[in-house]
Amino acid sequence: MRTTVNRRARHAAVLAAGALVLSACSSGGGGGGGDDSSAGPGQDKNVSSNYSLGSASDSAGPAPEPAGAKEAKKGGTVTVLQRDAFHHLDPGQIYFGDMLISQLLYNRSLTGYKVDENGKVKVVGDLATDTGTSADGGKTWKFTLKDGLKWQDGSPITSQDVRWGIERLYASFETDGPQYIQQWLSGDGTSYRKALPDGPYDGKHLPSSVLDTPDDKTIVFHFLKPHADAPFATAMPNIGAVKADKDGKQKYDNEPFSSGPYQVADYKTGKSLTLVRNTNWNPKTDPIRHQYPDKFEISFGHQATDSTRRLLADQGPDKYGMSYTNAVAPEMVQKVLNDAGTKNRRFVEIQPYLDVINFNMDRLKDVRVRKALAYAVPSGQIIQQIGGATAGQLATNLLSPSIDGYKPTDPFGKKAKPNGDPDKARALLKEAGKEGQEIVYAYANTDVQQKVAVVVTQALERAGFKVQKKEVDSNVWDNSIGEVKNGFDIFRTGWGADWPVASTVVPPLYDGRVIADGAQNYSHLNDPAVTKEIDRVNAIPDVKTAAPEWQKLADKILTDDVPAVPTYANLQFSLWGSGLGGVKYHPVYGYPDPSSVFVK
Amino acid sequence: MTSPSPAAPATEPGTAPAELIGRSPGQLMRRRFRRDRAGVVSAFVVVFFFLVAVGAPLISMVYGKDPTTTYGLNETGLLNQFGYPVQPNGGISGRFWFGLEPTLGRDVLTQLAYGIRTSLLIAAAATALCVVTGVLVGVTAGYLGGRTDYFLGRFIDLLLAFPQQLSFVAFTPVVYALFVSPEKETPTYLRVLTLILVLWALGWMGLARLLRGQVLSLREREFVEAAKVTGASPWRIITRELLPNLWTPILVQSTLMLPTLVTAEAGLSFIGVGVVEPTPDWGRMFANGAKYYESDVTYIFFPGLAMIIFVVAFNLLGDSVRDAFDPRTRR
Repeated sequence: MRTTVNRRARHAAVLAAGALVLSACSSGGGGGGGDDSSAGPGQDKNVSSNYSLGSASDSAGPAPEPAGAKEAKKGGTVTVLQRDAFHHLDPGQIYFGDMLISQLLYNRSLTGYKVDENGKVKVVGDLATDTGTSADGGKTWKFTLKDGLKWQDGSPITSQDVRWGIERLYASFETDGPQYIQQWLSGDGTSYRKALPDGPYDGKHLPSSVLDTPDDKTIVFHFLKPHADAPFATAMPNIGAVKADKDGKQKYDNEPFSSGPYQVADYKTGKSLTLVRNTNWNPKTDPIRHQYPDKFEISFGHQATDSTRRLLADQGPDKYGMSYTNAVAPEMVQKVLNDAGTKNRRFVEIQPYLDVINFNMDRLKDVRVRKALAYAVPSGQIIQQIGGATAGQLATNLLSPSIDGYKPTDPFGKKAKPNGDPDKARALLKEAGKEGQEIVYAYANTDVQQKVAVVVTQALERAGFKVQKKEVDSNVWDNSIGEVKNGFDIFRTGWGADWPVASTVVPPLYDGRVIADGAQNYSHLNDPAVTKEIDRVNAIPDVKTAAPEWQKLADKILTDDVPAVPTYANLQFSLWGSGLGGVKYHPVYGYPDPSSVFVK
Repeated sequence: MTSPSPAAPATEPGTAPAELIGRSPGQLMRRRFRRDRAGVVSAFVVVFFFLVAVGAPLISMVYGKDPTTTYGLNETGLLNQFGYPVQPNGGISGRFWFGLEPTLGRDVLTQLAYGIRTSLLIAAAATALCVVTGVLVGVTAGYLGGRTDYFLGRFIDLLLAFPQQLSFVAFTPVVYALFVSPEKETPTYLRVLTLILVLWALGWMGLARLLRGQVLSLREREFVEAAKVTGASPWRIITRELLPNLWTPILVQSTLMLPTLVTAEAGLSFIGVGVVEPTPDWGRMFANGAKYYESDVTYIFFPGLAMIIFVVAFNLLGDSVRDAFDPRTRR
């Protein structure tokens, strides 16, 4: 899993950047005091206890009725307002939140996430009958396809289509999607591409010792190493079926062939996407999706203020409107919260993205200095700057609450002193004999981050540091901090795991072997004890047994090495039109899920 | 020198007719200006703004707050959980006269005073530099004419063709990188100097062009011819004959330029190449206010009102000054 850093990097970095923008847009409220306690986040649906592997019966269709299903009727058009245009429709290329959520409607993967109305998530078989059976200590995974699966033209979906869907990921144009399965099958980094340089297009295929399809219903993966979390990896949108004679390579990006309840009717790149019912989709095979509305009309170019105003006004087609990723705009949060009419058409939920302030351990070698920094950082005030109670939730350790095995440990007492503990920090600094230590604090030059810089500087100076603020152009921010010799002491980064297992968090962020330009070990932590422990926990064949071990390791890293201090977990504040029902939160992707939405 | 044939002998090298009482044009101008009530009021307003700018530390001392302390973060009960003032009207109270800044909780009054200070200092310095450069280049080009005029003209064209904002964004980081070690914070004085320099470098061309045209038409007039015939040096002709006739456009242009530069500076701060937090800045206050207005309209009220009053007063002042100089243009 260590090997998949690059691609995941991109996912996390861009998503985190997106989350940054969104959270930048989700500050709010104001103008008078009022009853704020009722305005805070609702029930926390993104906690580890909510995740489990589903059984074969969980994987059978049809999907459970959504909340308020009595009002549900067939028909109607759902309007979706999005800020950024989709980069891709090809499921093989999809990795960003907006498209991940969108592809649920027209693409099915081997497994999927079944979210119930209480926010409990089960990994279930989607195209497959269950979450797969492993042999060989987790090196071999076998999936069986369900009966009655059909393409949008009525032809059956077979294991040959799944094989094609996976093999085409080896082609050189498939650059933007996740690479877990390819790397597990054929080698680290981008070396897996050598196994099948042009994908399946020249008539070549992966040998059956790697990817086997003994019959029309069965597909067998032979991984190089054991991978206990394979059912999660096969839930990524690119591990699904693609029909060979509909595959126009790059052109597939504009006309994906649907296996889900909706199909592409009209796509104007950069402007709009219309999805209409796929009449050949069989609800009995699908444990996740519904097919209530006739149409989804997705349009791009709506800033958060624009979409919030329209959804709040609740007029015309906006009455049936929602947004996948646009959060409620900062300046309108309080307005939305104070509007009693929005009570049943909004939620605030924790996203899988966790923000930390990294300490560059090449420069800050004294652990007491790093500890002092960790105590001094004013997480509460930082949350205030990024948008307050609907934008972020205080984080106390290095795992996000969404990660399996998460425990709310708090080694630096952040819950008790969210705005930092300058006295303790000062004492530690004195002990280290580094009073007045100079800290180069880098930040992306946006108006929100400028303000964060103000509170961070203040807090650090109170603790006895001297701060040199370096603003970095926000367009080159990701590259600047990704350089190993970046010359900065501390800077913020965000990370979102692809699935709620800590093997997608701890190894890429804190394994000393992955320090490289553009890699995610931003703190440059290189502790042999940590590396050894990572290997040990990674080798545990059962995800559930490994989960508490990861938390222990993360806590050990935070208390002994202090490579970073957690600040907050991002929140998603969504609003939709009063004419829609069945909107629920998708805890894995971190956005509202359209697959069971209906028009009242 | 492209001097035309000498004209009739000049009567006197003086500038204006002074037949009856014998007032200088300057005296006449002052008399006319004093009679213009709007002009006088706006002059006072403008002076007031400059006083506020200069006296910001004094205001802060008397009032007992400073612009960088985050009162709302240091004390509980001032800002709510979304970072907005708990008290109505943006947190205006006996303690915070103009209210509190959302999210950071700083005092708006001192922020505004210091912000005006930053913005006016930068804009005034840039205006002064622009005017000096504009006059020098414009008069030189107009008076010398010929090849000098041609090359200066093309140089002005070149500079005018630069997209201003884009050049600012592109050049400022380069300047910072040149002068600041990568491990040190960019000092505020360097930011201010850089701002003044970029505003100056791309701000003087309009005035220069205008003055060139004026000089071109003036230098053919009889009194200039007369001065030439009497053997006056070019320097004397420029300072004694031409400049006094150019004061009107120069003054009007600079009174218009200053508020424009204040807004330009604000724009630069907004896109992140101007001064950054925690240096107070009028323009950034304005930009933030525009963001918060849905929930805290009071915050934009004072900086906005101040900006409107300032720009209107300065424009009225410019009008009055022109009227006073040149009563024929009076409406």
